[in-house]
Amino acid sequence: MTGVEQTADVVVAGAGYAGLRAARDLAAAGLDVVVLEARDRVGGRVFTEVTGSGAVVDQGGQWIGPTQDRLQALADECGVTRFPTWVEGSNLEVRSGGLHPFTGLVPTSDPDGSADTVATLLDLDLLAQEVSPSSPWDHPDAGFLDSITLAEWVATAADTDVARSLVATATLAVFGCGPDELSLLYVLGYAHGGGSMSSLIRTSGGAQERRFTGGAQQMAVWLAEGLGDRVVLDAPVVGVAHGPSGVTVTADRAGADGVRAPWRVDARRLVVAMPPAVHGRIAFDPPLPGARDQLAQRAPMGSVTKVHAVYDRPFWRDAGLSGQIVADTGLLRATFDDSPEDGSHGVLMGFIAGPADRLSESAGPDGRRGACLEELARAFGPEAAGPVEFTEQRWSAEPFTRGGPVACLGPGVLTGCGPSLRRPVGPIHWAGTETASAWSGYIEGALESGERVATEVAAALGAGAAAPGGR
Amino acid sequence: MATADEIAEAYADWQVRCNGNARLARMLRGWDRTVHLMATDTGDGFTIAVSGSVLADLRHGLVDRPDLVVSATSEDFADLFWGDLNPSEKYVSGEIVLAGSSEDVMRLDAMSMVAFLDQ
Repeated sequence: MTGVEQTADVVVAGAGYAGLRAARDLAAAGLDVVVLEARDRVGGRVFTEVTGSGAVVDQGGQWIGPTQDRLQALADECGVTRFPTWVEGSNLEVRSGGLHPFTGLVPTSDPDGSADTVATLLDLDLLAQEVSPSSPWDHPDAGFLDSITLAEWVATAADTDVARSLVATATLAVFGCGPDELSLLYVLGYAHGGGSMSSLIRTSGGAQERRFTGGAQQMAVWLAEGLGDRVVLDAPVVGVAHGPSGVTVTADRAGADGVRAPWRVDARRLVVAMPPAVHGRIAFDPPLPGARDQLAQRAPMGSVTKVHAVYDRPFWRDAGLSGQIVADTGLLRATFDDSPEDGSHGVLMGFIAGPADRLSESAGPDGRRGACLEELARAFGPEAAGPVEFTEQRWSAEPFTRGGPVACLGPGVLTGCGPSLRRPVGPIHWAGTETASAWSGYIEGALESGERVATEVAAALGAGAAAPGGR
Repeated sequence: MATADEIAEAYADWQVRCNGNARLARMLRGWDRTVHLMATDTGDGFTIAVSGSVLADLRHGLVDRPDLVVSATSEDFADLFWGDLNPSEKYVSGEIVLAGSSEDVMRLDAMSMVAFLDQ
């Protein structure tokens, strides 16, 4: 075919967990699949790196928790083991400049504020149980719930500033943005999709329960290996021409000599497996329907930088500390012990999230490093100020994710654009964790969306059941 | 190990604190339930009825059909009611097991934590 480099039944744009899972199922259904990935690696928001000092760090998604059954099955299939996130010892609450050790989920230094926090979380969780995670816009009060922010709700639901502050910290860690940036309806559906807000913020028994020995990207690499040369790296999709008969997808593909040239693939269907804000940069011809394009404009990614400080050993454990901080101010509002399972060296991981992430842009890498180490030293002692190595992963500066960990929907977006989240546009189908009906924002949600979209596409093409088959 | 009488004594103390707690009363509104307590080491069973935002006296034995079943050691029950034990921590570690609908479990977990914090 003139001007076309490749043909396929289905093009999958994006080789994160959603795209890889979709491609695997589609290939198993006997369809000819091409996966176009913008980066020179697979995994999307999940990226495991071996640092200069030899530490294995997850620069993106890293945990698995109860009820994340697809992820568990996949890890089992590729023989990747899990181990509990380190929780032994006291957590530290940093509040009004003071340090307060606590155990369990909620800081206890201000009992009234803490009790208020628990009561507020319960109210939020009970409300969340009424909201469908797959279609929050169907709730009878969706209009109202989507007209206010989480912050507006918390302002009246909570009695104390401590509760408001703790909810804000939890929101920053979970969404990468503050409660004032999120629609209440979105938060409720999102929380229900992972069980409850309490389960999203729990370590043991919750979303942060376990880590993967060797990192969370391994299963993506394994899926990609199974797909072989169907996965094309370094090939960001820049344009999609579509019509009743299919799509012509244009990628800006890097050749062996590093020179980029348009790579066109004709296919019957396209699966877009990336966040709305990222597909908003692709030129669709004809343009996408208004509601879908508006979704792409109104679903900004959270702002998050993930930092790792690597030490010779997890010295804070000797002091009876878990490595977890919950802070009311500063760059690092939440930290975790990300040391390897055998404790052969120590790793503290922290999130710079929301406005702090955006505002710390001007500080530069050295400024952020200095501020983070100062905060870690204040919590864990002077030894924390001198890591062997310090890394930062600024997701907001990643053009093919544009932030993280997930899209942050403000008021009015779900009720206005929600129904277009998964609705195909002609031959174009939508995947990605943002489209999941449960565990949206997590690897589990990405896998679910890949599974769902593969079934959708296989049915549309009259192909065999897209049951999970061989790699 | 705690005897049934010791658990009853600790519960009576907890009951007074809970029933005098405005925040708990608000959380209990509309939540009328029968809760069974199972002491895993002694085999003792107890029943607590919650009705009209009030915790009734502890009854020795398993009475009525439970909405929720709480399993823990007799010592943990006594410590919990005396306010010496962080219930959320024990629940997360699996040493206290709650069985019931997810909503009821969520509520009891939160309410026991509030009772602990508000003492």
